[in-house]
Amino acid sequence: MSKKNKIYWFEGVTEKGVKSLLTDENSKYRWLRSQRNRRVLVVLMALGLIAVAMGSYWPTLKTGSLILNSGAEIAIYSVTAIFVIFAVLGGYLLLRISVRGIGDAPNELLDERQIKVRDTSFRYAYYAMGYVVLGLLLLMLIGPDLQMFQPKGNDGSYLVVATLFAFSSMPSMVLAWRERDI
Amino acid sequence: MLFPMSRNPEEPVYNRIEAARVALGLSRQDLADKAGVHYQTIGYLEREEYSPSLVLALRIAKALNQEVSELFSQTPFKKGK
Repeated sequence: MSKKNKIYWFEGVTEKGVKSLLTDENSKYRWLRSQRNRRVLVVLMALGLIAVAMGSYWPTLKTGSLILNSGAEIAIYSVTAIFVIFAVLGGYLLLRISVRGIGDAPNELLDERQIKVRDTSFRYAYYAMGYVVLGLLLLMLIGPDLQMFQPKGNDGSYLVVATLFAFSSMPSMVLAWRERDI
Repeated sequence: MLFPMSRNPEEPVYNRIEAARVALGLSRQDLADKAGVHYQTIGYLEREEYSPSLVLALRIAKALNQEVSELFSQTPFKKGK
């Protein structure tokens, strides 16, 4: 029997990794699998994504004008941004675990129901991302007319980071929210 | 359930998987291993929240030593049968 751990480059997962999540080998993560806890994780993840996106606006949200003048303020801003991004990254990894990696698993490691559930989640994630992108476009169109929504400090790069996180995590967020048993 | 996983919610498929499995003394995990699916999928099938493909129905019937027509029906099974 081959013990080679197949890597699925396109999905970004390994065979052993997915199989380990699909079985209950990692009992330390069992607490994550209740629907209530998964939904709490989804809400926290959504708040985290909004927090990352707001990183682009934080300086102007705080005072209505650019305040990153002193070194201390820049340091607080940077440390907070790094902390929030790592928190969201941690949330993203927990979210993948909470749905047994089904959102990212290749067909050959799933059964027919799991494939259907995963594909349905991607469909709803696609709709959800449509609204996210629409919101971003509106923000870019209307934002400059509003004093508080003008990207300052980092030229809106946190918006891009938040959007990329949202693209990666949305299928698992949908899956975690919808499924009763996972 | 907001979005039922049945293939066609208008035409539910009833089954006697749980009764047949229990009669053989199999756990959900045992049946899942025999049918080549996740044990949660057996739970969804037994609760009639998911209707299997023909291939999976045949595999489950084989694992339970029954005919597909004995396990699955488009009309509810009578209790005790």
